[in-house]
Amino acid sequence: MLLSAQNIVKRYGGVVALSDGNLNVSSGEVVALVGANGSGKSTLSKIINGVVVLDGGQLLLDGAPAEFASPQAARKMGIATVFQELSLVPQMSIAENIWLTREPLHANGMVNHKEVLARTERLLKLFEGTFKTALTPDVSVNSLQPDEKQIIEILKAVSTDPRILILDEATASLDSRQVSRLFELVAEWKKAGKAIIFVSHRMEEIFRIADTYTVLRNGKTVGSGVIKEVTEKELVNLMIEQASVFSHARQNRLSARELAQKPVYLSVKDLTTDVLRGVNLEVHQGELLGLGGLMGQGQRELLRAIFGYIQYQGRINIQGREVFYRHPADAIKDGTAFVPGDRGKEGLLYIRSILENILLPSWKEFGVPLRMRKAHQSAAVVGKSLNLKMAGLDEPVSSLSGGNAQKVVIGKWLKRKPQLLLLDDPTKGVDVGTKAEFYKLLANLCDEGKTIIFYSSDDEELVGLCDRILVMHDGVIRTSLIDKMITKRNLVAASLGASEEEQHE
Amino acid sequence: MKRFRISPPAAALILAVTLFLLSGLLPNGFGSDLGIAKAQATNIVRLAVFLGVIAAGQTLVIISGSEGIDLSAGSVVTLTAILAYVLIKGNDNMVLPAIGVVLLVGAVIGLLNGIGVTFLKISPFVMTLGMAGVVKGLIIILNHGNVSGKVAPIMTTIIARPVVFGIPGAILIWVVFGLFMWFLLERTPFGRNLFAIGVNRVTSTLSGIRVPWLNIATYSLAGALAGFGGFLLVGNTGVVFISLGDPYLFPSIAAVAVGGTLLSGGKGSYWGTMSGAIVLTLITSLLTTMQMPESVRRMVLGGTLLLLISIYGRQRALRQ
Amino acid sequence: MNRRRWNQLLLKYPFLFALILLAIAILVNAILQPTFFTRESLNNNMRVFLPLMILAVGQAVVMLGGGIDISVGGIVSIVNTILATQVGLQGSPQKMWLFVGLSLLAGLAAGTLNGFFVSVLRLQPIITTYATSFLFFGIALYILPNPGGGIPQAISGLYRNSTPLGIPLAIYVIVLILLGWYYLRHTRYGRYLYAVGGKAEAAYESGVPVVGIQFSTYIISGMMAAVAGIAMSMLTGSGNADIGSAMTLNSVTAVVIGGTAFSGGVGGIAGPIVGAMTLQMIMNIISFANIDTWWQTFVNALIIVIALALPGLLNLFQGRKK
Repeated sequence: MLLSAQNIVKRYGGVVALSDGNLNVSSGEVVALVGANGSGKSTLSKIINGVVVLDGGQLLLDGAPAEFASPQAARKMGIATVFQELSLVPQMSIAENIWLTREPLHANGMVNHKEVLARTERLLKLFEGTFKTALTPDVSVNSLQPDEKQIIEILKAVSTDPRILILDEATASLDSRQVSRLFELVAEWKKAGKAIIFVSHRMEEIFRIADTYTVLRNGKTVGSGVIKEVTEKELVNLMIEQASVFSHARQNRLSARELAQKPVYLSVKDLTTDVLRGVNLEVHQGELLGLGGLMGQGQRELLRAIFGYIQYQGRINIQGREVFYRHPADAIKDGTAFVPGDRGKEGLLYIRSILENILLPSWKEFGVPLRMRKAHQSAAVVGKSLNLKMAGLDEPVSSLSGGNAQKVVIGKWLKRKPQLLLLDDPTKGVDVGTKAEFYKLLANLCDEGKTIIFYSSDDEELVGLCDRILVMHDGVIRTSLIDKMITKRNLVAASLGASEEEQHE
Repeated sequence: MKRFRISPPAAALILAVTLFLLSGLLPNGFGSDLGIAKAQATNIVRLAVFLGVIAAGQTLVIISGSEGIDLSAGSVVTLTAILAYVLIKGNDNMVLPAIGVVLLVGAVIGLLNGIGVTFLKISPFVMTLGMAGVVKGLIIILNHGNVSGKVAPIMTTIIARPVVFGIPGAILIWVVFGLFMWFLLERTPFGRNLFAIGVNRVTSTLSGIRVPWLNIATYSLAGALAGFGGFLLVGNTGVVFISLGDPYLFPSIAAVAVGGTLLSGGKGSYWGTMSGAIVLTLITSLLTTMQMPESVRRMVLGGTLLLLISIYGRQRALRQ
Repeated sequence: MNRRRWNQLLLKYPFLFALILLAIAILVNAILQPTFFTRESLNNNMRVFLPLMILAVGQAVVMLGGGIDISVGGIVSIVNTILATQVGLQGSPQKMWLFVGLSLLAGLAAGTLNGFFVSVLRLQPIITTYATSFLFFGIALYILPNPGGGIPQAISGLYRNSTPLGIPLAIYVIVLILLGWYYLRHTRYGRYLYAVGGKAEAAYESGVPVVGIQFSTYIISGMMAAVAGIAMSMLTGSGNADIGSAMTLNSVTAVVIGGTAFSGGVGGIAGPIVGAMTLQMIMNIISFANIDTWWQTFVNALIIVIALALPGLLNLFQGRKK
């Protein structure tokens, strides 16, 4: 047993990310760390590689207790992680990035360029033939495509000759050829005695490469064992919850026939951006449309383009009329609202009061001078309708819990009675109780005739709420699920199925 | 004992009062003579008016965030003072038009600052510092051959002399000005949005605020306010010279910081700046009373700002 | 040459643009001043340009690391006032060299102060070094309240007339700095510097000692400012507490002209050196061209603003083309 994580506990403020995380891996073995979004698998891998400090439980390396106070400490103990582009400096070259802090030197202290070049080329050779254009060591990283950057991250981790390699969703940006090559390398590394932790939810890859598995659900390890002794179905079953509040969140779901009878509120034709490659869709009034699929397939860009936040090519029509939004203010005037998922960065003004956050888009309504009493009343009404638990409207929004803070994010739009609501993964980090309130709110809005487009990385949510789900892959819409076809299994399959299609190219 | 929070403006005022009382104990101080104490206190506040008005624009750009700052304030003050001086020529009727010109000139310079910062993506510090040089150049061009002009009598009456209950007109003007600033920041959408963009520009954009225009408007307004400061200043001194506005630049920033406005933006008030202006004027006046040279004044001011930002201004650590 | 080749060349040699500007400036200067290419004239120009060139190098190092140092002008003033008062016109050469050493220590101290506040306490670089600049100018004014004092004639004469092997002394200094930088840039330290300036979080994740690197850039800047102050003192031969006040903005402008990005991680020091030369050459032109003295300050300041605006303007036009 090379590494053993036992009963790991980790809290972020009030949210418990891990309550009982366990993982074991031996040298020469690949363990798949599996779990849905929010299961805690990312947190567990971050604890193992030293980025995050554990609050409870212990780590054992070679049987002896180990503590990783920093990423560097973990690295020294032979644990390397392949990040998602986190550790590349864009302005520097491939070679400079790979060997940063470990450059081979001449006697006089200067970097031995020849050696750097030679070693980098050796590393690049490992993936030879899988790049669209040949890569040389002196190419600057910011001119690389995402798949190339990912491979550089892999090479960077591998170049430290680690004992344990963590691949955290490392295949997300890679194409099938690159994945195959990676797996060939993994087989070699196994022979050399390395241990590999493969964090992923791509079933096909897991069954191809892993020897053992560990499943996390809601912060706990709920199962582990040998891959050969388990089927894909059993694994998925361990990942998802059987009985769920959410599957009954929406009572009056609209059928395909009912939807077709409603007028089209929003239509999008050939929408193209840096990420989107020609999206076409129609949303009906009163529809709760879901966007699903693996992360990073363009769902968020789609929402932002419709909101006028990013530039796009193509046509967007609202109620038959073509619109040209250059700025969110234009979209807002037309009755569109956008609820971001990253509250801290995009949804809230943390140091300002709850009142100010709720009224942020609406100050003009209160005239000059601002009628503050009316403003207070207005905000209080919003707070009440959302069942907002707060000490007072003038308290800073940072005093709220995650769920209540997210209510404020949506609350600032409710005041304006939007016709189209765009939600970008809004229930991340929100407690169960608030989620239920959220779903009720969204259902009510749809019943009132409002249109909602809802992106979530939580498949259960989508299945429980939406009238229709569009699954996106690689910047386009691949599948549409409606009526009886909306099941978790179909959604997961559709999200992964696209990549299966690719495999058989 | 429970810890209670004092708001920074209040803390600054307490500091000011403490410093003032301490100054009374100095050899040249007022000792126990209340009459002299009152006179000195009034004088300090009166002197603080000019710093306070000049620091108003500074308050706005700092609240707007993104390392906002206006280093051209000092030169704009000098330029507008000269313009007012030359335009008025001792004629009471020219006062209002002169104010108009002065606000316009300040606004234009601020507009240029805003454009450079917003569209050319030049850091505010560097942009306004560069603009300060350009304005200084303009001042020299205007000033060569020594300007001739004169302040209008009405200005001296209102600004320099006591008007009501022995309170100098300048202080009354400042109070009204303070109310105006409060109104701008707390009772207009402009002010609310200004705080918003100071905290988080992405959230602001996603909530419909047109950030670039707001940014430019802020710098423009800051320039106009500095212009007003120049007008008031020349009304007080009655004379102009090339470095008229310079001693107010650094203290204007320190005043904003003392008053509790976060230098990173998004939080603050003009009341705080007013308290800060009083504190800084007190410090300067104390140093003068103790017959400290200009060099000591600079060292003290520099050290004070350093201390303030060490207390208020820590950025995020690298590791979470 | 089409646009793409041009952009690629610019990426590889950021100071190319500055070189072209310099060439133009030299040409114009030569036209206006027929004696430009004489040995005496070249030597004159180089020794006048040297202080800002040295200052720009220090500023460039800080900016490469992602920071900025507004206090460099203040450090120049401190050094100048120390030398002018402690050594004085009557001082002996030995005393001079002693205080040169002390000046370097002063630069080190100033840099340490800046480094502490910015890298250890993690305060904003601009406002922090602005505060320390005020402090430093105050110290300089305290040391020398009124312009005066001086340095021994022997030393300033040395600076003025030294042309070992017929090449101006300034060139030797520049070459020395360039050699030193070449070495530094190719060590691990150099890589760390670019990493920190490029993306500090990525550098941190990769194990680079970010705090230490940033600290060191302020020490380098402080010491280069001290050297610039020494050169400035030798140039003017007298003391003035205000001597550094224009140099700060000039050093930032020189770096910007030289193609080293304000945000860090891109560029080198060759560009800023060229930029400093170009900037001062342009100011030379202004004073030689028949521009009214009254207008000169304005024109100089305008040039600085234009130089600072150029990267932004170019970006805007490139953006339009997309």
